[in-house]
Amino acid sequence: MEEEVKIAKVQRIEGVRGRRLGFLTFWVMLVLAVINFAPTVCPAAALVNGATPEKTDRETPSFRRDVMPVFFRAGCNQGGCHGAARGKDGFMLSLFGYDAPGDYFRLTQEFVGRRVNIAAPEQSLVLLKATGTVPHTGGEVFTVNSPHYQTLLSWIRAGAKDDSASVPEPISIALEPKSIVFDGERKPVSTKVIAKYSDGSERDVTTLALFSSNNPAAAKVDESGAVTPKGRGDTSVFARFNRFTIGAEVIVLPEGKEFVWPNPVPQNAIDQAVYRRLEQLRILPSVACDDATFVRRIFLDLTGSLPTRSEAEGFLADPAPEKRSKLIDQLLSSQGFTDMWTNLWAEWVRIKGGGYAPSATDVKAADAYYEWIREQIASNRPWNEFVADQITASGSNLTHGPSNLFTMLVHDVKVTPKSLASDFSQLFTGVRIQCAECHNHPFDRWTMNDYYGWVSFFTGIRRKQGVEPREFYVFNDLAAPVARHLVDDRPMPATVLGGEHPVPTGGDPRKALADWLTAGENPLFARNFVNRFWAQLMGRGIVEPVDDMRVSNPPTNGPLLDALAKRFVESGFNLRALLKDILESNTYQASAASNPSNAEDTRQFSRAQLRRLRAEVLLDAIVKATDGERGFSYFPKGTSAVQQYPRSPGDTTRLTAGDSFFETFGRTARQSVCACDTKTESTLSQTLHLVAGDTVLNQIRAGRVLERGLGQKVAPEALLEDLFLRTLSRKPTAVENTQLAAIVSSAEGKPELVYQDIFWSLLNSSEFIFNH
Amino acid sequence: MGALGRGFGTLVSVLIFPFAMRAAEAPPSYEEHIKPILREHCLKCHGEDEQKADLNLSTFVTLSKGGSGGAAVIPGRPSTSLMFKAITAEDDSERMPPKKPPIPAAQISLIKAWIEAGTLERSGGKSLVSARDTQFKPVAMKRAEGPAPTPEHWPLITQPVPVNQPPVIALAASPVAPIYAAAALNAVRIVSFTDGETLGVLPFPEGQPNVIRFSQDGSVLLVAGGEPVKYGMAVLYDVRSGKRLTSVGDESDAVLAADLSPNQKVVALGGSGKNVKLISTESGKTLFKLGKHTDWITAVAFSPDGTKLATGDRAGGLHLWETASGQILLTLAEHKGAIRSLAWRADGRLLASAGDDGLLIRWDATDGWPVSNNANAHQPKRPAGYYGKLPAGILDAAFSPSGELLTVGRDKFAKQWNAEGRELRATPCEGLPLHCAFSNDGSSFVVGDAAGEVHLQKSALP
Repeated sequence: MEEEVKIAKVQRIEGVRGRRLGFLTFWVMLVLAVINFAPTVCPAAALVNGATPEKTDRETPSFRRDVMPVFFRAGCNQGGCHGAARGKDGFMLSLFGYDAPGDYFRLTQEFVGRRVNIAAPEQSLVLLKATGTVPHTGGEVFTVNSPHYQTLLSWIRAGAKDDSASVPEPISIALEPKSIVFDGERKPVSTKVIAKYSDGSERDVTTLALFSSNNPAAAKVDESGAVTPKGRGDTSVFARFNRFTIGAEVIVLPEGKEFVWPNPVPQNAIDQAVYRRLEQLRILPSVACDDATFVRRIFLDLTGSLPTRSEAEGFLADPAPEKRSKLIDQLLSSQGFTDMWTNLWAEWVRIKGGGYAPSATDVKAADAYYEWIREQIASNRPWNEFVADQITASGSNLTHGPSNLFTMLVHDVKVTPKSLASDFSQLFTGVRIQCAECHNHPFDRWTMNDYYGWVSFFTGIRRKQGVEPREFYVFNDLAAPVARHLVDDRPMPATVLGGEHPVPTGGDPRKALADWLTAGENPLFARNFVNRFWAQLMGRGIVEPVDDMRVSNPPTNGPLLDALAKRFVESGFNLRALLKDILESNTYQASAASNPSNAEDTRQFSRAQLRRLRAEVLLDAIVKATDGERGFSYFPKGTSAVQQYPRSPGDTTRLTAGDSFFETFGRTARQSVCACDTKTESTLSQTLHLVAGDTVLNQIRAGRVLERGLGQKVAPEALLEDLFLRTLSRKPTAVENTQLAAIVSSAEGKPELVYQDIFWSLLNSSEFIFNH
Repeated sequence: MGALGRGFGTLVSVLIFPFAMRAAEAPPSYEEHIKPILREHCLKCHGEDEQKADLNLSTFVTLSKGGSGGAAVIPGRPSTSLMFKAITAEDDSERMPPKKPPIPAAQISLIKAWIEAGTLERSGGKSLVSARDTQFKPVAMKRAEGPAPTPEHWPLITQPVPVNQPPVIALAASPVAPIYAAAALNAVRIVSFTDGETLGVLPFPEGQPNVIRFSQDGSVLLVAGGEPVKYGMAVLYDVRSGKRLTSVGDESDAVLAADLSPNQKVVALGGSGKNVKLISTESGKTLFKLGKHTDWITAVAFSPDGTKLATGDRAGGLHLWETASGQILLTLAEHKGAIRSLAWRADGRLLASAGDDGLLIRWDATDGWPVSNNANAHQPKRPAGYYGKLPAGILDAAFSPSGELLTVGRDKFAKQWNAEGRELRATPCEGLPLHCAFSNDGSSFVVGDAAGEVHLQKSALP
């Protein structure tokens, strides 16, 4: 039989009084110890009632509600500290606190009595370390007198208990005030963070939140939430608490400058939104650009190609007042537009073709996809349908172009649902959801639940061999198991981002995904694409980078982005209608020249930004301006750089951009969906390539423009004008004309060399290399 | 059942245990089961035509030879077999076959069973796992003259008042007298097994008593610990008088693991410093610093004859050392999580290790062979609808004087195991059981928990 005997709890022992001297020391020590412990007899409530903002009316702090926020605010669970994947110095906390049960376990049960010591709470290692009482790599993170210390201490005194029932969770946070304008006054403004909980309660969590500023040059925010202006400009300050991030707009106006808003007349809603913002910031927009600038700019933006001499001349000579609108319409329906925008989409979805393609990315498949895209762009297919067709595509990669979304985004023998999930999110919503794979997104609203529910849309994507080696069938295996949550291995059925419930089962979940994504009510989709289109035309997204939309990276002009998205949805996702609106606006047609108030503006679209031409556009421009030709391996003669894409006789997995010119000028090798892969920064090697490389001179020689001109005995002025119109789409100024004519006439014997130098200089000028 | 019967049982279990799971069917063989799998996935690169890494898996003889990386399989030990590690590697870039999806789970478990059963060449063939006799050989306990040491006339002390009852972070029973010692707040109390009376309290003003051990003859009590990240040491007390004999070690963090050699001349201790120190109790000098562990030292134990020392760490590293020379004897690689307990059977032939990974392993101390391996020894039942990891670690293990095992784990059970490694009885515990110890005669045991309670149980052993 079993018998259980309970032994008396530890208590004072009546024993034999010590007779040995040695024990006297202990006696004294232990009595002292008793005195030391005396405060612990006080009821915990006495300390809790210390009316600090983070305290609640309940007596004992809750682990989830009160203790975990302290680790967050004090930085203990940051990635560089105990929040690292393997913890720090032997102790791990979940990053930003995504795993409360795990944190409780490691704190109280991994080494019982060490990190948390309920018998002698002040001796808990977690407190000794945090206060720097014992050596701590992270130093002192709070003091004994801080409310954070008291929260932890009260919790340990009460037995360091786990939360028994479910604890109210924060469901949202608010930052007050929502916007701050510093006009003259330079005194700090304090902010307050209020959290709303699932039981309907609210609490001031300012002392538990973390603050940051997007642009500390404009305004700084300290750890108490006080915002201090630093210099003219705008920024957002952010508060983070639990899994939420929220921002408040801060505007710092210039000091003591007289400002009169000249009331420019807006062309449309776009100008209205831009002007409202500029007036608020006391920035004057630049004047409209001249016709020569306009014709060159719009040709490059819409068709990726320079206007020909006759196109430029024709436009400049046209006396019609509506000639800009006419040109916009003409270009939007041109072949060049289809080429350029097909190129953009092909770049985003990473189209590459190989001659050996175990990953289903054969040249034939790439061509099928290209052709399909070209047809959609040419027929101005509504953007929502265009995208939905690709997302839901199944079938042969050779005969059904859009199914190649699931071969080109992969470029691997193996389809990885997680990378498809993050690519889809980045591409179609601008959200980088992959952060939520291992922890809730630290700077946005996405949780691990969102992530794994999203991954489940892609766990069934399969490709099986078709009738010939190059052919693969893309299909979605509906019997495939769904993704499982990293923390607790729970199956996570397919759920849209931010969705509360999984999509209905039965049928291909990609259909539900496409319906949700492309619905007019879904702000993620329309905002993502109008921002990408805007960036192509303006050189900078309203959200930048365009594929990193998150709460903590807000648009520089929110109402503008909303107005564009609204317009896009209302037009039935009509790409050309949206672009036409943008192109018609004063904002698009503004000059790049600055005025004193907007010289420093790069974010508010008060003037045109100088942009280096994209690699393929620059190469085409050089070829076109020189009447030259430039072939590409594996493509037929006459293919332009914009029409061309990376091809290889081998596998496409690690295929590069393929042409040294592209590599030098930063054309993406389509290795990832990141917008950052396309580079338009200028580098020294680019300059050297143009100055001393073979591209410019070879094209000048191949095109024989000068030989033909000289052969026909064209007058020097006419030849110079021809060169200017070819390269810069404008006629030379009087000064340029006089000076260059002087140089030409002083050349003895070999005028073609002088002309060649002039041509070369024009092709090397910033005015040529940049869109302005 | 008499000693003969028990012995027979041990022998049988040793022979069949490795494939106990598949006991109903014949063990898989190379020719019948394994070669088809290898042909499907491996022989293209490791076969007759091509031998990458000099490895040819196409015949049993060449497979047994291994390749340039050493033996491909170690009969009985899938977890240490190169081939098995290669096909089960988590990392895509390390796993075989390269750039292909992993070998199907069913085939992997077949390969595992084949290795466990001793890599039979053909069905009915000879297992290459050698039969061994690790039967318990009772040893006569050396008894000191006179009555067994128990507290006599200990002085009265005043203890600090704990804010909450302290968890029983350490517990040990005397091997010779019906008494046990349990951790209290900055103190250790000695309690009688017979009536549960507290016989005396030893002050440990140095801090938390993380480790308590009785000497083999029961006359000396070792208490080790300290204050976290401040200092650590081990103190020896005379059990009869309660007198403090000596203090050894001067660590910068609390000692987490310690033991006293049977001859009482050496204390082994370790903690967050990752080194095990062997310190002379006479001179206080450090005799050896054993530096092979890569994480905190969480368990150390001297063999009953004192010639060997077993040490375990928080990452699962487990080593066997020669006490006299400080040289490493064996590395026992199997654990994947913190080792919480190391216990020697009284005859010194078997060492039991248990830890956070839920493994309870008995090692043959002569050659480091895992005689038995109980996986998931303390796996809690999963409540319906509950997902997530359930803490399943073993927190303590203790041998009875007659060679049976007692373990406590995070599933809140105390379990007794017979000599063959079969579970005899599972007793639910109220709190989280941290430590356990058999009484000197094995008739009862105590379990100390995180709530500060010590529970006495009658043993299920004969």
